[in-house]
Amino acid sequence: MTFDEAVKKSIKVFVKGTMPMKTSELVEDGLLYTPDFFDQMEEELLDEPTDSKMAKEEELEDEA
Amino acid sequence: MRLNAPIPGGNYMSDTRNYAWHRPPDTVDYDEAVSYLIDKIDEPEEKELIFAMLGIDAHITTIVTTLLLQAVSKGKLGIDLAILIAGPVARYIEISAKNAGVKYEMGVEDKDRVVITPTLLKASMGIIDEEDEDEQVIPEEPAPEAPSEGLMAMPEAGVVAPEEEQTAMLGGVDEEEPEDEL
Repeated sequence: MTFDEAVKKSIKVFVKGTMPMKTSELVEDGLLYTPDFFDQMEEELLDEPTDSKMAKEEELEDEA
Repeated sequence: MRLNAPIPGGNYMSDTRNYAWHRPPDTVDYDEAVSYLIDKIDEPEEKELIFAMLGIDAHITTIVTTLLLQAVSKGKLGIDLAILIAGPVARYIEISAKNAGVKYEMGVEDKDRVVITPTLLKASMGIIDEEDEDEQVIPEEPAPEAPSEGLMAMPEAGVVAPEEEQTAMLGGVDEEEPEDEL
């Protein structure tokens, strides 16, 4: 796997809302720059629900 | 005999400390590394460059790769941490582009991927349904009526051009033999 491919994969995973588990365990208080942090930032800046949040809501609706 | 190969032991003579990525990186903390890159992206010149790259249809993944490689080559980040923070950096660029109204493309979608459908699978395996065969019969369209007047009008039945005219039409014109001038 090349560096470009690894970066692409990392971005794909993060956009889906997944965080590296072991990295999160390194900090007791938790990491600051999580997918939720960027969702919140996007909401504040653009005043519209984000794609990942909408997808999460849809998943919850389907489960219900 | 000359070999095109490195000199044995040459690595012990070179000063590898010249390369920043051969030394421990400046930042090893996840949040600190993301903050560093976000601050860098927020610099006016860097932002202009990023938006200009997005303007020429460069994907966000390409921009992130460039930024991370720059940071690694300067010794700011290790390669592993650079890969880990690619997601947050890409997300920040995406938000900035949305906020500025710049058109962007993330570059992680597989647009060229062929969607496998039952029809495609059947076609690749050479299976043809009888129903499909019946559907493929094309109904014959009625032929348009021939014009009765004008240049394109059909000649009346039984009317045949004389033999000389037919020969002339086929290019078989009898050429007169040139007379000797002398």
